[in-house]
Amino acid sequence: MELDAPNESEKTSQVRIKLTTRDSDVQLLETAPILVSTALRRYALSTLVNNLLESEKPVPFEFLINGQFLRTSIDEFLTANGISAERTLTVEYVRALIPPVHISSY
Amino acid sequence: TIHLDPSNQEIGLTRNDARSLWQQHEMSTRTLAAALAEQLRLILAPTMATKLRGDFRTGKRLNIKRIIPYIASSYKRDKIWMRRGVPSKRSYQIMIALDDSKSMAEGESKDLAFETLALVSKALSMLESGELCVVGFGEDTTIAHPFDKPFTDDAGVEVLSQFTFEQEKTDVRKLVADGINLFQEARAKASGSASELWQLMLVVSDAICDDPDAIRRLVRKSQEEKIMIVFIVIDASARPEKGGKSIMDLEKVDITADANGEMKVLRQKYMADVFPFRWWIVVRDVAELPGVLATALRQWFAEVVESG
Ligand SMILES: [Mg+2]
Repeated sequence: MELDAPNESEKTSQVRIKLTTRDSDVQLLETAPILVSTALRRYALSTLVNNLLESEKPVPFEFLINGQFLRTSIDEFLTANGISAERTLTVEYVRALIPPVHISSY
Repeated sequence: TIHLDPSNQEIGLTRNDARSLWQQHEMSTRTLAAALAEQLRLILAPTMATKLRGDFRTGKRLNIKRIIPYIASSYKRDKIWMRRGVPSKRSYQIMIALDDSKSMAEGESKDLAFETLALVSKALSMLESGELCVVGFGEDTTIAHPFDKPFTDDAGVEVLSQFTFEQEKTDVRKLVADGINLFQEARAKASGSASELWQLMLVVSDAICDDPDAIRRLVRKSQEEKIMIVFIVIDASARPEKGGKSIMDLEKVDITADANGEMKVLRQKYMADVFPFRWWIVVRDVAELPGVLATALRQWFAEVVESG
């Protein structure tokens, strides 16, 4: 399980993000800048995009920053790649490729 | 264009670049500075005719609010008159805190910030009374110009040369804490014990800051210390040619899991719901500043006088 929900700790820093996609089916109409905690991970961001899309049935998304998949928190990603949280971060989202679901031991 | 001299990381601009940049901003804002100085002179000068106020046994005009209690108390509560107060001598200390963080370089906020600095510092130095201090903030707070030195054009050049807009953090909490300390020190050194000292902090920034709750606590502390903090929000990227994305549109999104592990999304307008300062104005063009700042200061000072 992804430990994904940051407990809005006062210590986390904030970053402005701009969400983009190349998939016209899930394009966001409104592109107002968004300020989020850098503690967020993939699952929280996916929840966010679904919220913004007002999707009936949530679509799982993966995220790319500078062409690299986000596998950690935004904060860890920025540190590992020497990117400043002072700048607006362009975050690209793509539909997550879900492996075929096997019904095994639930 | 502004270059960082890699051989001298401490200084953002060469002295010559800083000088020409200062002259350019000083020149472009000269008329506005004179206008602002004139407005500030009216605001900061002691009011000649102060308001009628107070509860006295004799006086100039009846306080209507006291009449009913006066009758109800069988004419015992007889402090029903108001008097005109004596205007007090007023001096001020103003700190301009300029955001030196990297986010200011985005959307060309730094040009507007420099213009604002040139305009406000010039206007204040024209008043020739009171003290002006300039600090830079980011990861740390640095004094670019202290209270006890006059703010000349050379001082302006000196101040500009200290800004790089390369700081990797924007620690507004630290700025407010450091600002309160600097004001406490400056108050202790201020001359004229009888004079009324007004302390004002003008923060010039893009308004993006962490930890709003901790900042809110410090803002309350500054109010207790009678330090007024006015936030000048530089909204350069709202200009159509810069993309037209205003700070007023910025949404703060919090994503948290509830007890059942279900994710909840909370969307708030950043400036209206999250931004921790009480008094702020949004500026997109430096030409708006004298008018907006003067109107705002007049209101806020009136409030200080009322509450004091
Ligand atoms: Mg910043």
